[in-house]
Parts: sequence; C-alpha cells; structure tokens
Amino acid sequence: MNFYEQTIIAKQDLSKNQFDKVLQKYEKLINESEGKVLKTENWGLLNFSRKISKYNKGYYIHLKFQGKPTTIESIKKNANIDKEIIRYLIVRYKELDLKTEYFSKIKN
Amino acid sequence: MKKKKGKKKFQTNSMSKLSLFQKSEMRMGRTCPLSKKDAPIIDYKNIKLLKRYISEFDKILPTKITSVSQNKQRKLSNEIKKARTLGLI
Repeated sequence: MNFYEQTIIAKQDLSKNQFDKVLQKYEKLINESEGKVLKTENWGLLNFSRKISKYNKGYYIHLKFQGKPTTIESIKKNANIDKEIIRYLIVRYKELDLKTEYFSKIKN
Repeated sequence: MKKKKGKKKFQTNSMSKLSLFQKSEMRMGRTCPLSKKDAPIIDYKNIKLLKRYISEFDKILPTKITSVSQNKQRKLSNEIKKARTLGLI
C-alpha cells in the first residue's frame, strides 16, 4: 500500500449541490477500488496566478488517501473525462503528515 | 617592509570573490538555509517558502544567489513546477 495526495480544481460556476457531488464521487471511487480516504480538506475559492482554460478562479479539493496503483488508474480514467474539473494532480509519498494545514485560514 | 609584502600576497590569493566590493566572508562562507536543524519543509503547498526562491518574472533563482545546496535545489525546482500546474504560483 502506498500513500497519495490528490488535489482537484473544480470549476467556479458550480452550484453547492454539484460541488458536493464531485467530492462524494471521488471519495467513493477511492473507497470502492481497494483504497481508504484518510483526510479531506476543502480549500475554498482561490485565485489562479494566470488564466487556466478561460477561468480566473476555482474550487480546490484536497484528498489524502491510502491505495494501490489500481486505484489511481480508476481515478485518472474518470478525471480525464470529467467536465466539472479543470485540472488535477496526484503525488506519491512515503509518509503523510496529517497535522499541518497550509490553507487553514481560507477555510470557512 | 617584509610584513607589507606578506599582506599583499594574502589579498591576491582570495580570487574566489564574486565582485570587488563584496567581503569574501559574507558570501562564500554562507551555508544552506534549508538544511539547518529547524528548516521549513519543502512542499508544493507551502507557497510562502516557494515565493522566496522565485524572481519577479516567476523564474527559479540560481544557487549562486540563494546558496541552497544541490540536493535541496533539485527538490525546490520539482515542487515549484508542481505548484505551477495547480496555478498556485
């Protein structure tokens, strides 16, 4: 089992119900495909430093989870097709520190 | 007179200065600020730290200016590139 971090940028013009569906969708995907979500962070609306595909702002979701390489394949398949997501990034770690939060002030 | 000659030789030996108006001890003796005991963690979420090592035009600063060690500089440049894809920097 490996440790991973995933950050998702969702589009700005989503409603609250749509935004919650995106969060639940990816938590389900991880839990169903031999993985386990350890922590979820909601960074809120943030400004981009430059325009990304005609958008100036975006909602940030941050997931820390345990899983196998098969879980990441299933995430990538879904994230590449998804129209509510602008970008995503997955990073592998040997150890996760769950305490430090760099975006805690922005969180409402 | 002999003493003066000795002093002159010492000055000519310090050719490793970067510029004429800089003291040699200031620049050359500096150690890496990121490999101390309580050094901050290099991570793509830690934007405050990454912005210190970026120029006005969002370029990565060289080690000649920042005096970061070779191992940490490689980590820094990788983490800065991750933050760029997410639009944080």
